[in-house]
Parts: sequence; structure tokens; C-alpha cells
Amino acid sequence: MFYIPKNSVHKTVSRRKFLELGGGTAAALGIGSMTVGLGTVITRTPVSAASSEDAKWRQYEGTKLVFMSENTPPSFAIRDNIKAFYDLTGIEVEIITDGLPIVQQKVGIDLRGGNSDFALSYVQDKPIGAPFADFYSDLTPLLGDETLPQDPEGYGRDAWFENFLDVCGVYYDRDRLIALPYDSAVACTFYRQDLYEKYSKEFEAEYGYRLEYTKDSTWQNVLDFATFFKKLRDGGEDVPYGYAQHNGNFTWTTQLDIQRMQFANGRWIDFDIDDKLGSREPGPCNWGDEQSVLIMEKFKALGDVSHPDNLANGTLELNTVYQSGQIAMQVQYHEFAASVENAETSVAAGGKTAYAPCPKGAPDWIVNGGDAVNGTNCGIGGIGINGNASEDVKRAAYIFAIWATSKNTQFDVLKGVGGTPTRKSVMDIPEVQKARTRPTDMPNALTFDAVYDFGIKDPHFVLGPKIPEANEYHNIVAAESQNCLAGRTTPQEACATIKQQIDNLNGV
Amino acid sequence: MQKTLRAKRASFSAIEEDHGYAARRLDYGPGALNEEPKRRYHILLMAPAILTLAAITIYPFFWLIYMSLHKVSVARSDRWVGLDNYARLFGDVKYTDGWLLLVKYSALCLTLEILIGVVLAVILNGSRFEKVLVTVFLMPMMMSPVVAGLVWYYLYNGTFGWYHWLFQSIGILGETSILADIDTAMWGLVIVDVWQWTPLITLITLAGLKRVPQDQLEANMVDGAGSLRNFFTVSLPNIYPFLLIAILLRFMDNFRFIDHILVLTGGGPGNATRILPVYLFDVSFQFFKLGRGAAIAFTLLIVTIVLGLILVRIFDDPKKQVASGEAGETTDD
Amino acid sequence: MASREIVQYDSGLSRVFKVLAQVFLVVYLIWTVSPFIIMVGSSMKDLLEAFTLPRVGDWLGALSFFDFSPTFKHYVALFAEENFGAYLTNSLIASVGSALVAVVLGTSCAYSMSRYQFRGKKDVFFWIISTRMAPVVAVIVPLYAIFRSFGLVGTLPGLILAYTTFNLPFAIWMLKGFFDNVPYAIEEAAQCDGATRLQATMQILPLVAPGIGAFLVLCILFAWNDFLFATIIGSGGAKTLPVATKELIQPQNVQWGKIMAAGVVTTAPMMLLGLLIRRYLVAGLTMGAVKE
Repeated sequence: MFYIPKNSVHKTVSRRKFLELGGGTAAALGIGSMTVGLGTVITRTPVSAASSEDAKWRQYEGTKLVFMSENTPPSFAIRDNIKAFYDLTGIEVEIITDGLPIVQQKVGIDLRGGNSDFALSYVQDKPIGAPFADFYSDLTPLLGDETLPQDPEGYGRDAWFENFLDVCGVYYDRDRLIALPYDSAVACTFYRQDLYEKYSKEFEAEYGYRLEYTKDSTWQNVLDFATFFKKLRDGGEDVPYGYAQHNGNFTWTTQLDIQRMQFANGRWIDFDIDDKLGSREPGPCNWGDEQSVLIMEKFKALGDVSHPDNLANGTLELNTVYQSGQIAMQVQYHEFAASVENAETSVAAGGKTAYAPCPKGAPDWIVNGGDAVNGTNCGIGGIGINGNASEDVKRAAYIFAIWATSKNTQFDVLKGVGGTPTRKSVMDIPEVQKARTRPTDMPNALTFDAVYDFGIKDPHFVLGPKIPEANEYHNIVAAESQNCLAGRTTPQEACATIKQQIDNLNGV
Repeated sequence: MQKTLRAKRASFSAIEEDHGYAARRLDYGPGALNEEPKRRYHILLMAPAILTLAAITIYPFFWLIYMSLHKVSVARSDRWVGLDNYARLFGDVKYTDGWLLLVKYSALCLTLEILIGVVLAVILNGSRFEKVLVTVFLMPMMMSPVVAGLVWYYLYNGTFGWYHWLFQSIGILGETSILADIDTAMWGLVIVDVWQWTPLITLITLAGLKRVPQDQLEANMVDGAGSLRNFFTVSLPNIYPFLLIAILLRFMDNFRFIDHILVLTGGGPGNATRILPVYLFDVSFQFFKLGRGAAIAFTLLIVTIVLGLILVRIFDDPKKQVASGEAGETTDD
Repeated sequence: MASREIVQYDSGLSRVFKVLAQVFLVVYLIWTVSPFIIMVGSSMKDLLEAFTLPRVGDWLGALSFFDFSPTFKHYVALFAEENFGAYLTNSLIASVGSALVAVVLGTSCAYSMSRYQFRGKKDVFFWIISTRMAPVVAVIVPLYAIFRSFGLVGTLPGLILAYTTFNLPFAIWMLKGFFDNVPYAIEEAAQCDGATRLQATMQILPLVAPGIGAFLVLCILFAWNDFLFATIIGSGGAKTLPVATKELIQPQNVQWGKIMAAGVVTTAPMMLLGLLIRRYLVAGLTMGAVKE
């Protein structure tokens, strides 16, 4: 066993990168010895392909790593379980969690600065993966490395739920893989079964069809439901609103909200590119075409009959509104099922809520000739390894990455705080199968039919563009759709200004 | 403390008399003997602070300029782009709107704070409860801006917020909560700022009112002037320099602190509350356009420095010395 | 004082004004205090109790706010589950540390700036004060990169240094004003009596000590309340109370009870300190432009 001085290898790398970022000035002023990784220590015992499995897991015993993650359940659960990993490998992993925008800032600064404070970080597909893909380490050489422990199920596309590996791991280059799927948030419909039953007759009398939600329910139906409930409310009845959108200040999910509707109706996407691969030069965008303007109109129409706090309701707030019983339906990420089913915080718990796929496109809303699908989007959080780190740090980090994404770890998280598995094999565990129907001790499992068996599969699945400027793109789409919903701009104007700003952003 | 200081000062003057001759000799004596060690002594005392400050301010400043002249966004290496980052700002509606919104935001905050603050000070001045009430009113200023943001976010919430209930109950808001409406979101921010910082204006005005010369007021009173007129003809001109300083300080704070805005609206809905520092935050930390961010930061810094210069001018202006402590103390005596 | 004199010339109109003034005072008092009451109240409520509002316009129903059985579970949870003990310590070390650095360096610098004339002094002085006024967002990117290269990010020394960027200029500026008020004669006298320069300087320190103490407290207050530096420079390793409070907003569950409790924990010590230095507050918050 021997010690390698703190990050001795990447010290020089860091210096070069540091100079690139603006260290030139530093050098000119004669200040600056560079970079030691924050809290990273590496210790190594050499192993060979023939070594025992145990030796492979323990080859970096004594190493310390930092994992920067979003404050989602898997990270908390893994932090609680970190001793299991330490016992297995002797590697200490410090897990730092933060809100996504802060994670994005810190990881971005770390990666761009040529540092590796965070040997491991959370690669949320578009907000973090798309802009920083180049700075992450390519995992492909490690996947087949016989001197490292490997997951018995492997890492092929089939090992994960459909599309997951591509969404969080592949950016601009099919031969590079920068992250393994770690957690997921997939959109699906949460609705108040009890209320739908209660008002079924009344609704049918007015609209001529039953008030029920299925996988064939369209956005037109949702608009009808919302209009119906709002009318009841305006008539003085004590009912919740029918629907609410994600239109608060968390721009990424605000943008995802209109994206779902756009895609459902004719599979409309922003750019003529393969979203799952992404593009550094996506070319002119499709905003402003007839289809996008029509859906923006419908989006506004739905907004007008939705919960009045639409523009303040981000994903989180929206869920609070649903928990408090003020809306009868929300399209929400499946990880929220755990909190909706918590009777302490939610009046919608205890069998009142049913889960179904996202609404489908309405045939007469489609003018571009595409299909009507249940447009479903998601955020897949990968776990990625800092490309600036030394080879040994990368290898040690890899051991953590495969452990954190393994079937057993994911199952533990699901049981513990309500995780969102990414490995298919988790579904085969009898306890999980049982949990998919009420009564359940893993509420998130109630959504699995709608999510893993339906929504995330093509042709319903929509990702949105992986482009380096993804975050500014989200910001533009979110701000302009808010302006449209607020009546500041017409749908035409909103789509036109989105097109103008995005094309300008991409240098078209 | 004031008392002890004054007592000491009395004893100084005694010392001064005793040693008057010696002191003069030191002052006007042959400088060559004195100057060099004195210089060294003072440089030694100043150096640690100046060097520390230089290291953590001048160095970043040059770095900022460097970044603003480069494209440091997603590409791996920096590319020299000259003034391109600056040139692009003029075509950037969010940048120009950011300035307008900053001015609008500050104007709303300041108008309300000064109106309420001055009225409050006039009412409080000399009142029986002055001491107690001023102490209570100070409380919001002690709160961390981000905590203030969180508390008000909770109060404004459309589902369980007490202030939302209040606004609805007095009929100034409908069901839509204050931050959810493009037309009212800015007011939501202004209210928080007014809540936190009006007391500062009150305190400053009170300090000014204490220095309004009593004889002027009395003279005016003999002329039969009403208290309202008295306020406008005597008090207001006297507290005017204090208010000017307050305005500048608050305006600069609106550049500096965006903590509560990040919590409350993050610049939305639409771009309704994206005042320039918030946009700068977005560009630097959300879009990672460090070059463009640096250019915005640089322009923001320049304006801050100009404002700072104006402020220092006011400090230095002998005619406005009323506002500074020394003058105040002499009137007190 | 002034206003009492005016009251002697009472008339009908001014009586109306008086009543209006009292109403204004009461309204303002409620407006100032209510967020605190709601914060403290909500911090002691169970989650569902905190989410109940009366019907719109039901003014009497507002009293229902006080109808709850207080619980301290959120406070307990902060320290037992959320590690707030450590964040409290971080906040203390970072704010007291930076205040000490600022005041120690600032006192010596301010003294010399007050006593010694040199060319360009005005410019240096302006530079010092302008660093205090710089918008935090504008300086934080380069500062992060530099701190990063010295391994200061995520450490308490790093955070202390970051706070020094605004506390040091503040201390220099304020204390210079203080030294300017102390007559030079006392040091001259001491030197004539054979004291060294340093001894002479030391002689006047007791005179400015109360001021130094007050500004130390103000520096603590500024640092304690900071959010942006703490979140970026403090990163994960030196998490302070405001940052930890904000982080209680978690994707799946906004824990308002805990957030309000954390708000109380963060705010209460600063209010006490504020009271303690009450008489220096105006001077401190106006950069010495206004004194009470």
C-alpha cells in the first residue's frame, strides 16, 4: 500500500486549465500556486484481473471522495447507507447535497475551472450534462476493465429502463458515455379518483362523455375537466380547481410543462435533431410554426382555467397545492407519489389519488401531420466522474458509481425514502411487484405502470434538445410562455420571440 | 460611552495646555529627524489591511476584466473577443430591461421607504414611546435577507400564506397570489424591502430631526406657523442631506443584495422581476456565460463606483457637514 | 423636545392628525411584528396546523392562528436530524472570525490613515470604500476561481476571507472616523513623555474601544446574515445557517415548520446583538454618514 500525494497527477492538468480560465492574469501578477482537490485523498493497493472480487472492491481502501448531488431521496438514502459502501470498499464518500441550480453552479465552476473538488457529481441530463458533457470522464474504458469490480448485470442499454442510459449518459457523441442512470423523475398524471367519481354524472350531462381519466384521455379532455371544475367553483361550489401547470420560477420544469403538450400533439420537437444524442449546432428552431402557435394557444386556454397561482407554482409548490386538496389533477413527476401518499401532509392520501400516463394529443390539435401520443418527459439524474481527476481518483469514483446504481442499492433507496429506480431488474424483486398495488409500503411503486411500462417508452417519450446552451434555452422558453399566459403577449408573439431569441442564442 | 469620551477629551485639553509647547515642537520641528520612522511606522500599520484587501479585490477585478474580453462559455479554452461581450449587451433586451427594472424597483422601494420612514420619524420624534418603538421597529433589519425572503415566501403563498389571506380579505388581491401575477410580482419584492429597510430611513430621519435647531422652530412658531408648515420649512431642509445619503445607500444596497429576490421570484414571472443583478446571476451561474457575465458585472461595478463617488462627495462637502457626526456633536453640546 | 413644543398650539386639525398618527403607529407596529409572530408561531406548529387558513374576509377567524398546541419538535429535529449544531458553529466561527480579522487589521490601518498624511490618500481611501460597495454577484465568480486555486473553497478560512472583502473596508472606514475624533495631542504628549510610537498609539486605544467593540458586533452581523458568499464560497464544507435554512426547501417536501424554526434560530441571536449596539446602529448602517 502506498500513498500518492494529494492529487499529484492532476495538479499539472489543473494548472493548465486554470491558466485557460483566466489564470494568465494570475501568473502575470505573480500570484498563485495551484489546486489541490477539496477533500480528496487517494490510496491504492494494486490489483490484477485475476485478483479476488473482494480485493477489487477494496483496492482503494483509505481513499476519500466527494460526491456533489441534488437533494433528492436517493442521495439522502445513500448518505444514510454510506456505511455499507465503506464496509464493502474502505472508501469514504462525502455526499454534499444542494438544490439543482446550486449543484449546477458548483459543479460547473469545478469542471470548467479544471478542478476536481467533486470527483463524482450529479449529471442531470440537460441542465448539467448538456453544457458540461466535455468535462466528464468517458466511462466506456472503465466498463470493461477487469481490474475493477463490475456489476453482474452490466451496463448495456437493456440493463436500464428504456432510453435512460442515452438520456443521462450520451451527449453529442455516441461512443462516449459520461454517466450511469442514478435516479429519475418521470412525468405522469396524478388525479383525485374520489372527485372524478363524485362529479361524473354532472360532467357527463354537460360534456356527453364520462368524467374519467385513462391513458387515452387527451389534452382536450383535460381542458374540459379543468373548465368544468372551474365553472363549478365560480358557481360557488366547494370544489378544487381541475388542473394546474408548472409555471413557477424553476425554469427547467416550467419549460418541460409546455414541451409535454407540444410533443403529445404531433410529436413536435424544437429542432430537427435527434434529441437523445443532442447537437452542438442545432440549427434554426421550429418555434413559430403553425403547430407550435396552436399549442401555445391551447396552453394558454388551459392556463386560464387552471389554479390561479399557476405562475408561482413550480414543481414543488404545485405538489403542495395538490397535497392541500386545491386541485383535482396534476401532471407531476413520479417521485412525488411518496409525499402525496403521506397522510400527515396530504389530504389526497389514502387511496384518493390514482396514477396514469400523461395526457395524449388531441387529433384536431395536430396540424403538422404527426401522431397523437402521450408525451412524457423526465429528468434522469446520472452519476458522472470528473474528467479533471487523476486516473486513480476516477477508478475509485467508478467503484462508487456502480455501487450507487446497483440493483440492491436502488431497492434499499426505494424501500427507505421513496426512490426512483433506474435498473429494470429492480422491478423483478417480488416485494416491488407487490408494492405496485394498494396497500403499499412503497408509494412510488403505484406509478410504475404509468411510468416505466408506458410513458418512458417510445413513441411517448420526449426529452427536449440536448444543446450546450440548454439552460438559457429553458430560461427563454419559460419566461416567454409565462408572458403569454399572463396575457402580455399573444401566442403568435410568444412563439416568434422564442424563435428569435433561441436562433440568436445558437448563432443561426 | 459618549460621556467618557467627553471626559477624556476634557483631560486632553488639560494635557494639551501642559504640553502645548512640546506638541508644537514635535509638529514643526526639524522633519528629517521624525519623518522617516514615522512613515515606516504607519506603513507597517497600514500594510496588512491594504495588502489583504488588494489581494481579495484588485486581483479579482483584473480577472473580471480579463473574462469580460473573452468568450469563456462552453468552449474549452478562452477565446479573445475584444469588446464583443460589451457590444452584445446593447442588443440584449434583458440587459437593458434589467437596468430599467433595477431603477423601477429601487424607485418604488425608496419612495415608499422615505414616505413611510419620514412620517414615522416625525410621529415618533419626542413621543413617549419613542425608545421602545424604535427598538421594536429595528427588528426586521437584523434579519438575514435570505431568511426574510423565505418568511415572506411563506406569507405570500396562495395556499397557506397569511398575507395572501390578508390581501384577499381587504380586497386588493384576488385568488392569484402576489408573486404569481406579472403585474404584482414586483410589488411583492418591494413590500419585503420596505418591511426590512423603512426602519433605517426612520432612524436616519430621527437623527436628523434631533439636530433641527430648536430656535428656528420656535421662531417660526411665533410667526404662527402650523406644525405641518413648520415641518416643510424648517425640518425638511435640515434632514434633506440625511435623506440624500439614505437614498444613495439604499440604492446601492439594491445592487448588492438579491438574496430575497432569488428566493421569492428568481426574476419571474416572465421577466417581470429580472433586475440587472438577478440577470447577472443567471448569466454567470445558470447559463455559465462567464465572459458575458463579466461584462455585465463590469458595467454594474462602474455604475456602483460612480454612485460611491457621489456619496463620498456628499460626505466631504463642507456645507453638508450637518450630516456627519462632528457637526452633530457640536449642536448637541 | 421639538414636537412637544408644537403640540401646545393644539387645534382641531392637529387633533385629527394626532389620532391619525396613533393609528398609523399601531398599523405600522402590527406590520413590522406580524411576520415575526407568524414565523415563531409556525415554527411551533405541526405541519397540518400550519396550513390552515380562515375563509377570506373572516377576520375573527384569524385568531385561529393562535389556536394550536405548541411543539418544539421542529427545533429538536433541526439539531437532531439536520445537523444544525454544526451549521451554527460554522456561522459563529465564520462571522466572529471575519469580524476579528476585519477589526484587528482595520484598527491599525484606520489609525494610520487617520494620523498619517500621504499623497494619494484620498484615492486609497475611496478605493477602500468602493470595495465595500461592489455588488456581491459581480465579484463572486473571479473570487471563487481564486479561492479555489488556494484550496479555500468550502473551508471556514475561505469564508472568513470572503467576508473580509466587505467587513475590512467597513471597519477601516468607520474606525478612521473614530480616530479622527480623538485629538492628536494625547499621543504627542505621550511621546514627549518618552513613550515609543507604539506605546503612544496604545494609549488611545481604550478611548476608541467601545467603538471598536460596536463595529466588531456589526461585522459579525453582516457576515452572519450573508447568503451568496456562503453558498458559493462556503460550498458544502462550510455551510452556515442562512444556507442551511434555504436548503430545507427540498424537491419533494418543503418543511415549513423546520424552515421557520431555522429562521428563528438564525435571526434571534442577531436581534440580541442589534439591541446591544443599538446606539451605534445608525452610524454603522449608514457607513458613518449619520450619527445619533
